[in-house]
Amino acid sequence: MSAPVAIVGAGAVSAFGIGWRGLGRAVAAGDLQPRESALLRDSHPGTLASEVGEIPTALDAGNARARKLMSRAARLAAIAMREALVAAGFDERREEIGAWMGVGASGIAMEDVPAIVSASFVDGGLSLHRLGDQGLLACNPLFTFQTLNNFSLCHGAILEGLGGPNAAFFSRGSGTAVALAEAVHALRAGECDRAIAGGADTALHPVTWAELQRDGFSAQGLLPGEGAAVLALAREASPALGLLESCTAVAGAQEGAAAVFRELERLPPRADLVVIAPWGTPPRAWLGDMAASRYSGAAVVDVSLRLGDSLAATPALAWVAALDLLRPGERAVVLTAGVDGDLTAAVFRKESP
Amino acid sequence: MRRAVITGAGAVSAFGVGLPALFDGLAEGRAAVGEIRSFDASTFPVHVAGEVPIAAIDAQWLAREMGAVPGGEAIADRAAATGALRDRKVAFALLAAAEAWRSAGSPATGPKARLSFAVGLEQAFFEDLAPLWTGGSVDWSREPDAPLPAVRFRSPVDLGPRLVARLLGLRAPLVIHSSACAAGALAVAHAAALIERGEADLVLCGGADSMVNPLGIGGLARIGAPSPRNEPDACRPFDRRRDGLAIGEGAAAFVIEDESRARSRGARVRARVLGWGSTQDGYRATAPRPDGAAARRAMERALRRAGVVPERVGYVNAHGTGTPLNDPAESLAIRGALDGAAVPVSSIKGAVGHLMSASGAIELAACLLAFERGLLPGTAHHRERDPDCPIDVIGERPRRARVEVVLSNSFGFGGQNVTVALGNPEAAS
Repeated sequence: MSAPVAIVGAGAVSAFGIGWRGLGRAVAAGDLQPRESALLRDSHPGTLASEVGEIPTALDAGNARARKLMSRAARLAAIAMREALVAAGFDERREEIGAWMGVGASGIAMEDVPAIVSASFVDGGLSLHRLGDQGLLACNPLFTFQTLNNFSLCHGAILEGLGGPNAAFFSRGSGTAVALAEAVHALRAGECDRAIAGGADTALHPVTWAELQRDGFSAQGLLPGEGAAVLALAREASPALGLLESCTAVAGAQEGAAAVFRELERLPPRADLVVIAPWGTPPRAWLGDMAASRYSGAAVVDVSLRLGDSLAATPALAWVAALDLLRPGERAVVLTAGVDGDLTAAVFRKESP
Repeated sequence: MRRAVITGAGAVSAFGVGLPALFDGLAEGRAAVGEIRSFDASTFPVHVAGEVPIAAIDAQWLAREMGAVPGGEAIADRAAATGALRDRKVAFALLAAAEAWRSAGSPATGPKARLSFAVGLEQAFFEDLAPLWTGGSVDWSREPDAPLPAVRFRSPVDLGPRLVARLLGLRAPLVIHSSACAAGALAVAHAAALIERGEADLVLCGGADSMVNPLGIGGLARIGAPSPRNEPDACRPFDRRRDGLAIGEGAAAFVIEDESRARSRGARVRARVLGWGSTQDGYRATAPRPDGAAARRAMERALRRAGVVPERVGYVNAHGTGTPLNDPAESLAIRGALDGAAVPVSSIKGAVGHLMSASGAIELAACLLAFERGLLPGTAHHRERDPDCPIDVIGERPRRARVEVVLSNSFGFGGQNVTVALGNPEAAS
């Protein structure tokens, strides 16, 4: 990316609540504490998590009927998208607004599972005959819509009437950075003059959490989280909440830490604030070392200690936290390390008045 | 100026493994939708599909079909050992990618080689809940000791692409497109963008998908998308009698690189990726916009980016699902975007089914038939014209034509629309 683009609005949903102003400061002050997950209480009781609390009906996404089609991530995404669009004042020509999102895995409501299993299992095993003629009829007919990963983009677009260029990228970190980078390319190329980009996901679905446990992430300090965050971008704007200078994804798992460090040498030499979002203990150590060695004197804030790892949402939540903490004339570097093994780096700046 | 060109292509479809099988099937005007054989679907509301003709996928079959690709056997063994091959689209992704890479002349994949790939949903393995099912609920505390393979409950979304990257030595972050039925075409468009911007010198792109499994078929049946007739002609695109789609499975992959680089290494240029455009309906989760306005804008964006006037378009490969709602809306979009010109249009979904996230990729592969054999694919089971679809639909047999520019439409559940414009490499730039 060459010239910076303007950030003219933002939206977020996290354990902090709905909204991004104050999020970074709450994280930095240690005001957010992990609590036992209500979403995992039945499947994995006693799991500490960073979980979105009850959503007031007036602030929820769509109506009750629309929410039946939504996974939890799609619901959180739609709220964050609405907040970002409102904050940016993107009220007109919405059919021209571009939208790029990092999205997570499927998440059908687990309440549907017992009905299908009860109707489909015979003698302790799955009977295809029973599934075909009884099990399918026992479930919510709309559960397929909850499994569509791209609906974390589409529900928000439908509710808000967005119609511009777009894409949804599967993400456990780096896909969300790709979403933001693509939004910037589209703005620069003139494919749209306004865009939103971000990520939404939950690590608090029982199947997802079982996977993260099985793959050893929880044993290495991963705190499961969830949320959504969206930036509203414009090619040019004044005043702006901030400027996005660059956003990249770097292969960590395949290339090794040395390559990651080499790639980060391309980042600006000066930063006043470094926000890191490591998925767990191992990357926390080397991201912290990296921040300390490259940006000595900069304030370092670890958002994952409080917000946990919310997979596709992690980079986006770190971006809005940085935006909240950034003061006029300062530059922030946001580094995330996701469970995909990849690293993302984004650079933000806030101009002096 | 860098220009993206296709130098390698591979496909897996209901016609079989390999791009030649797809080309031959389409060139002969055949259709390959039939009774599902890979599992017992006899009690399911839908039991026909465009199924890849292989009942069970194992490591030996996969390694053999991948052909001469270094490390292919090891990847196939690894995929089998972890349970990855339980998800058919994993094998399809590997097969299509290996064929594309071989047909591009097995190019070196350095640090600027990328992967931009579309995949469908995680496949759910419902049967894996059996060892955890106790007293009417799932007891997750039993999960660590459950006698299940590493890939259990659901296949990770990026499972296939990660194996493809390992096979071909692609080390940059993977870009996994998750835009439902628009994803395959978006993956190709993204690959072309990476080439044009100089962010990559080679991109393996495309898509793989299979919903030919119990919960995939069952879920789609529950929302009423497939034809209820369970006949080989389940999908009748643009036909007055159309009543739903036919579910398909498979993959298509391409090697895309900069034209000057391709020509300098002596690679055969099979098509130019001239342009693309995407829009969203922003309308409903369960239906496309009836006026086709957003789809039309995607086509217009693609033409604009390609720098092509409508008169130069010789063929449109339609999304053409054969559903009551899609086809009239798409007809309006095509007429509008092409200024009412009578451009030949067809859909291959009657022949191979709807490949979901891979549909955009397999349909771009089908477009190569126009450049390489001078044939525009036909529309299997299109027999009765529909006045609500007032476009020049190619009938069941392919049509001979020499064309300069083709468009391929892909529209996803949720309202994502994308059009990709390909150029004949033998035509003037």
